[in-house]
Amino acid sequence: MSTMDVKEWGQLSSQQPPTAMDSLSVALKGNIIPNQEYLLQGSVLDSAVEILLHRLRGLCDNVDSGPETFHDHEMCFSIRGSSPQPLLLRVRRALDTQDAPWQLRYIGQPELGAPDAKSRPTIVRSSIDIGTSSTVVDFLTELGCRLDFEYIVRGYMFCKGRMKITVSKIYKMGQGKPPESLEPVSQSYLVELSVLAPSGQDAIADDMRAFADQLRPLVILEKVDYKRLPLSAMP
Amino acid sequence: MGVTVLQQFPMGENKTGPQTIEFLTKRVVALGAVQCGQFLVDCETYMSVPALGTPRTVHVLHNSEQPASVFSLLETGTKTIPLVADGLFDLLMLKMTPIYTSKKQTKVESKGPRFELTDFVIKLGSVTMSQNFKGILVEVEYRPCVVPANCWELLREFLQGFLGTCVQNIPPQYLQNRMNDIYQPMDTIHQYLDHFTMYRKASGMIQYQ
Amino acid sequence: MQREEKQLELAMDNIILRVNDLKNSIGQMIFKIEHEYETLHWPTFLDNFALLSGQLTSLSKMLSHDKSPALRNLTVLPLLLSQERDETLIRLTENRVPAFAHDLVPDYLRTKPEPEVENKMIQLDHKAAGLSFDTAQKQMAAYSKVVGHVWEIVSKAREEWESEAGVRGSATQTSSVTDTQTLVAAVALGKGLKMMVPQGVQPNSQNPMMMSPMGRPGSGGPPPQGPMNPGQQPGIGKAPSGIKTNIKAASQIHPYGR
Repeated sequence: MSTMDVKEWGQLSSQQPPTAMDSLSVALKGNIIPNQEYLLQGSVLDSAVEILLHRLRGLCDNVDSGPETFHDHEMCFSIRGSSPQPLLLRVRRALDTQDAPWQLRYIGQPELGAPDAKSRPTIVRSSIDIGTSSTVVDFLTELGCRLDFEYIVRGYMFCKGRMKITVSKIYKMGQGKPPESLEPVSQSYLVELSVLAPSGQDAIADDMRAFADQLRPLVILEKVDYKRLPLSAMP
Repeated sequence: MGVTVLQQFPMGENKTGPQTIEFLTKRVVALGAVQCGQFLVDCETYMSVPALGTPRTVHVLHNSEQPASVFSLLETGTKTIPLVADGLFDLLMLKMTPIYTSKKQTKVESKGPRFELTDFVIKLGSVTMSQNFKGILVEVEYRPCVVPANCWELLREFLQGFLGTCVQNIPPQYLQNRMNDIYQPMDTIHQYLDHFTMYRKASGMIQYQ
Repeated sequence: MQREEKQLELAMDNIILRVNDLKNSIGQMIFKIEHEYETLHWPTFLDNFALLSGQLTSLSKMLSHDKSPALRNLTVLPLLLSQERDETLIRLTENRVPAFAHDLVPDYLRTKPEPEVENKMIQLDHKAAGLSFDTAQKQMAAYSKVVGHVWEIVSKAREEWESEAGVRGSATQTSSVTDTQTLVAAVALGKGLKMMVPQGVQPNSQNPMMMSPMGRPGSGGPPPQGPMNPGQQPGIGKAPSGIKTNIKAASQIHPYGR
């Protein structure tokens, strides 16, 4: 291959493109992949959502453009191999835009069991967000995933620095029903404050707390313990 | 992104891989092509664990031409489902290890110099399977056109011009069914996978055809 | 007579005390404005005002109290004026008055307005006296109409403001913990989103999957579009073989075939 290093081919010719796995492990080692989600959750009654949106409009960055709206369909899949713990995957697609990529998301268990979990200001869980082509549902289904549940989510998104705030209404899937007559899950909007960051950036959690305090008492954003959710009362 | 044809180049009797690449390099440079860096296409294959039932195979490929994307092809035995995703898909595959395990010894890659000649991009790839040399794959892309039917003749002539008789007069099997579709990066990946699979089946045989 | 004097002395002491308090408060506020203007917050500033206004109120209450001696009936006479510097006076007035001299005394002991002001007052009095009764009446009516109008606007605004504050303040609920839990359970675990719950499902207590926070409630109803497979129920989370059939069943059906 010595002839390949002839000078006139320039610097580039001698550089091998790194393999994707090499780049990935470099990125992993450098801790630059935003694979941790810091999360606070709460809700606001339908009657008070306007007040909340108004307040968020004032507090957040996208003042000029106003809040961004979204209308998505989310599907939650699980796949189980030999381990008893299923791997949970979510697919989200925009219903209001045609050519947006689909989003495939892995969400780990909230690290509530970690020794310092109680003292942490927010839920911290691992998360991998991947943009994909629209074949992802087929792909997951054939991969062996099963669809556990799905819903329609519609709402507003705000940004404040690295923080993302969504105010969204959750609807049950309508079987052939027009979008206007979908049945909401509750008479409240789900409010989520989240940041995706590389692990170890715990300072962001304090910023989130400070921001959450500014929304009190309108919305109480907190670490919702999934283990304590009232599951027995199925509707 | 234009229509791309992937062509196997037979190894000469007494030539090593590097010698063959050198030989081809001289030819394309003689045509006026200029080298613009290197390229790499790799493929890793994951098999489902028995607990999942019907065995399934996921091929995960990367192409340095689309460095931010990961291409996956899922084979169920009855059909093949493509998926294009962000780079973080690799991270997800790592999470999948209890369900899909990588067959390291079947990791295949094709890499080598990348040339540009006006509207054509030529890549001379040496194929290796877990570090063992397997053969030569030549990729030619005609960038101004995205419909195979419209430029196959041109590509064929160009390929035959510097590769000779190893180039058949009919389009590669994979393209035959898609001659009038818009060509996409995934189509290149498909062609690579088809060739990689053949190399794997030949299992160590450098000879081909 | 002596008793009255004593009472007066007592009252004066009290008044002096209050006035000193007031003076100190004003001094502190001025100090704050001059030195802490960068860090001074509105709330603290308003607190200061509230303090001043409280002190003023208590001072005027004291002055108007029945038992306080009628100060207006007393006269202060400057017995001796002097150009000389008086150290005691300087100390008493915190360096403000160096000598009890002719140029200052009229200002400090004044009980009547200044002559110019007095002149202006007389002029106005004349002008008022010169008005006819009707004109005066008309002007008064117009004036009270305007004032009444402004009053109305202000009180209306105040009423609105107070009722609004009342609505908000009286803790009209804006969020509900139950709703938060319902929503989070729905989004995270699919609670209430699985449309077909198979009948005869055991309560979740026996399902080992429920130990995991992400375990599926409703004990694994099949995907909404999936086939009802009665055989799969006992298998969930129990034996791998059960899982196998379960997933097979799901994978054979394309959930988006609608």
